[in-house]
Amino acid sequence: MEATASSRFSDVDEYGFRRGEHFDYENYGKFMDKYLKTLTRRRIKWEAILKQNPDLSQPDAKLKRYIRKGIPGPFRTDVWMKISGAEAAMKKRPGLYRSLLNIDHFIKEINDSISIDLPRTFPDNIYFDSKKDRLFNILSAYAHHNRDVGYCQGLNYIAGLLLIVTDDEEKSFWLLKHIVEDIAPQYHSHNMSSLLRDLAVFRELVIRRVPAVNRHIEKLELPYAVIASKWFICIFAEVLPVETVLRIWDCVFAEGHKVVFRAALAMFVTHKTAILACHDIAALVTLFRDTMIQDNIVTNCHSFIESMFSLRLTHSEIESLRKVAVLNAN
Amino acid sequence: MSTRRTGSGPTLNFKAVLLGEGCVGKTSLVLRYMEDKFNTQHLSTLQASFVTKKVSLPDERRAQLNIWDTAGQERFHALGPIYYRGSDGALLVYDITDQDSFQKVKSWVRELKQMRGSEISLIIVGNKTDLEEQRAVSYETALRYAQTVGAQYVETSAKENEGVSELFELLTQLMLEHHGNKLQHDASSLRLQSGSSGIGISEDIDTDADNAGAAAEQRSCCGI
Repeated sequence: MEATASSRFSDVDEYGFRRGEHFDYENYGKFMDKYLKTLTRRRIKWEAILKQNPDLSQPDAKLKRYIRKGIPGPFRTDVWMKISGAEAAMKKRPGLYRSLLNIDHFIKEINDSISIDLPRTFPDNIYFDSKKDRLFNILSAYAHHNRDVGYCQGLNYIAGLLLIVTDDEEKSFWLLKHIVEDIAPQYHSHNMSSLLRDLAVFRELVIRRVPAVNRHIEKLELPYAVIASKWFICIFAEVLPVETVLRIWDCVFAEGHKVVFRAALAMFVTHKTAILACHDIAALVTLFRDTMIQDNIVTNCHSFIESMFSLRLTHSEIESLRKVAVLNAN
Repeated sequence: MSTRRTGSGPTLNFKAVLLGEGCVGKTSLVLRYMEDKFNTQHLSTLQASFVTKKVSLPDERRAQLNIWDTAGQERFHALGPIYYRGSDGALLVYDITDQDSFQKVKSWVRELKQMRGSEISLIIVGNKTDLEEQRAVSYETALRYAQTVGAQYVETSAKENEGVSELFELLTQLMLEHHGNKLQHDASSLRLQSGSSGIGISEDIDTDADNAGAAAEQRSCCGI
């Protein structure tokens, strides 16, 4: 009943996700008018890059700049596999994934908990029903491969989105392995200690960059874990709009975990006014849970990525804050 | 979405947390209580969520019930303290058809007793009474256990809407009594709260004035 002649966009996006009831078609249209042109231009440039440097073996400043501007959809799988090192790892152990699907003793509890989460993974995606068996394979293979992690809720969203993008079980497995072991080390492990550590680091970064926002959040007594644990556990999958998540992941695969902090910090910086305008904890929770993750700021992935990279942030700052956080926790 | 309201006298603010194993129905209890709905295919809770509801008390005062609904998967246990640290009440939920989930309740009780002592009111909740024929934990067993640890015991069916509103009324009642006792017994009647995130590195706020002199000036946790 909301459909108007002006809505040129289907209620399902290009990845198969149904758009929400309150999806802002008008603003999305304005954004896409520009973004589609950008995408076309970028695709031509990427064709040239891949011709010149097909294995992306020299990740120079130019490549990094291009990646920050977004990897075009058709090249995404290939580029992710190469820049993350997942392809090299896969070539080193070519039989690993198949062998994990054929092990003798599956751990029943692990497979049961994965099975419970399958119908809950992206129920709003129209293509996903047919991919659920493959998602099960990826998650079960990984859980049996890395017993320290096993299966952690949230991995279903990461692996699910990888599968949507790559449409390839084995590549999804290797990219998942890269995320869990190199991007978010120990976030998903049994005591989640490094998740707690990085939430503390994140809080400290908020104190340093937008102190008024931290004061306001703490005055209203909203724990950072409520705001951001899903951001870190899922690397924004099933949090932000898909295109924005993929743009973040482009940079995550190229540049590592610092990008996750950049994205989280950008969420706070770009929404500073809205956060400060919340007068009680309920309003703040609604802002973080519903409003902020689908508004124009995050839907316009291009400017959101720009705001992420306009923030000052170094590896050494994160590393030194991590050390302090670990000391404080003990 | 602001929950502020003026002119109807003082509002008491209570915080409660739902804890328990995955799939026992924590979110379903909240959904039934808040919206009178039941979702057969609900999403699992990965990140704790927060809901708030205003309730009228028998003495015409109003209370705001702030409820944390937490993730159930075992490893998310590590995040539990963040939610129960500042809570006045805890609902420890298990599935009456699942013995393991009852054992999990016991481990939460031990942890809460150790960390919060008598500061927190406990209700043990046996959910899914609609599956009576598959019951694995008897009413008497659970009741006896609850009595030994000083907790209340309630059975519910979020699906059939049995005992749910009574559960939250009891919770409010317990927290209210606890609040009243505290007012009587504790001259300063104040509970100081430290930084709420509990995962901090540095303190950016001045809530840590943990001494008696400052206490008299502090706002009560239950609002003004």
